[in-house]
Amino acid sequence: MSALPIDLALAWDSIPQMAEGLMTTVFLTVLVLTIGLPLSILVTLARMSKSPLLAVPAALFVVFFRGAPLLILLYLVYYGFGQIEALREGPLWVIFGSAFACAVIGLTLNHVAFMVDVVRGSLSAVPAGLIEASSALGLTPRETFTYIRLPLAMRYGLAAYQNEVVMFAKGTAVVSVITVVDLTAVANELFEETYDPFTPILTAAAFYWCFVNLIRLGFNALERHLNRHNVREATVKEPAPGAALPIDGAAPAAPVPPLRRMANFGRRTAPVKAPAPALSTATPKEHAV
Amino acid sequence: MELFSDQFNGYLWQMAQGAYVTLQLFAAGFSLALVIGVLVGIITLSKNIVIQAFWKVYSSIIMGVPSLLIIFLLYYGGSAMLSGIFGTDRSFDVTPFGAGVAALTIVYACYIAELVHGAVMNLPKGQFEACSALAIRPIAAWRHVILPQLTRLALPGLINIWMIVLKDTPLVSLAGLNDLVANAKIAAGATKEPFIFFIAASLFFIAFSALTLRLSARLETRFNRGIAEVKA
Repeated sequence: MSALPIDLALAWDSIPQMAEGLMTTVFLTVLVLTIGLPLSILVTLARMSKSPLLAVPAALFVVFFRGAPLLILLYLVYYGFGQIEALREGPLWVIFGSAFACAVIGLTLNHVAFMVDVVRGSLSAVPAGLIEASSALGLTPRETFTYIRLPLAMRYGLAAYQNEVVMFAKGTAVVSVITVVDLTAVANELFEETYDPFTPILTAAAFYWCFVNLIRLGFNALERHLNRHNVREATVKEPAPGAALPIDGAAPAAPVPPLRRMANFGRRTAPVKAPAPALSTATPKEHAV
Repeated sequence: MELFSDQFNGYLWQMAQGAYVTLQLFAAGFSLALVIGVLVGIITLSKNIVIQAFWKVYSSIIMGVPSLLIIFLLYYGGSAMLSGIFGTDRSFDVTPFGAGVAALTIVYACYIAELVHGAVMNLPKGQFEACSALAIRPIAAWRHVILPQLTRLALPGLINIWMIVLKDTPLVSLAGLNDLVANAKIAAGATKEPFIFFIAASLFFIAFSALTLRLSARLETRFNRGIAEVKA
């Protein structure tokens, strides 16, 4: 392919602008992830609640905001709220009047809806025996949740969460349509200035690639940290020949020997065969490819 | 604006036509991605170092970049690429639809190939060994032994990809395709009723995915009919 003219000078000159766009993308991603995590735990608890008053709205929330494409959600928030007279006059217009805030709202709704299934899957991957044991030991349900279920679920769910975060970070490229100047918007601007179809987009793609892979590296480090007490050989035992499926590569390969510290085991016992967290097959995790 | 006035019905009709375009794009993109993805997935199972290295780099790039950028790249740069391949003396028109199909195919063939890898890893090795012990030739073995089992293993992942492709198709409207979302946006802008039209458009996507989920559940039970369910 002789005709892939990448204008290196243009690419070099565009780096400051691209970096600025990348900062917007990163800031947007981090902000939504920070808002989204606690929110999705709350919605999941509502979704798993026995009371239909909580469970039904949460289920509807998930169905709608998960099923609707992100692009439509952004249009809906950006163009929709601007039409409401009361909102435009009211004090909240500071929020709904800004494209960036609209992007945050639209992305958060979508992200939370996806996260509900991730959180639910990881919570239900925690072996029932542990929960029964803690209630047998006299822990209150709340203590069981905060000290037993949530920490373990975090480990089980990390692989699915990583997938969702990576998909989400790439999905933020859409916010350029509602005038947020992110990395994609910068690339588009440069395209319109120079009519060079390759250089700006490929430069932006390189930036995205670095961002996404930094996220991957970060998650790998976090996973190692969370599983630092684990027996190593269990993970080394089965090096998948060739390329493993990316999610499965990060899947909790070694079942966590549950709660060694509480059970005051000084020495390492044989790894308890906890029921393998069925995350990689059972949860309907749409983002995980 | 009054509901079910002539103007309103006109916009609805326009959206229905857009929905047809969306469905066409989705069907073309997904089926091409499926075919190419399965082929590529099988080819890249090869232990050949060149193939492995190429695949590692290629899939990392494609899966590390937003699909929106790939759509833009193919739409803006498509004709330059085509004339680069087929000679500059001819000019090529790249329609948004064509660019969209190509982009969806390129991106999701990659994901499907990775899915095939994962499914092959999950297949008991004995299946391959039994095939060679029985002297079944590779092509016949793949056709009659391996692929039918892969279908079962890969089905849940395939349905995930199906959903993701469905929700990525509206992105092609940003390259100027007159699909459902583009028409909804026009209608919303002209009538100043964004809620009605955008919610209608999202209900279309939700209904379509609900329908396919139901079908896929049936398909899954059918593929699993030979497998005893393990009670946890």
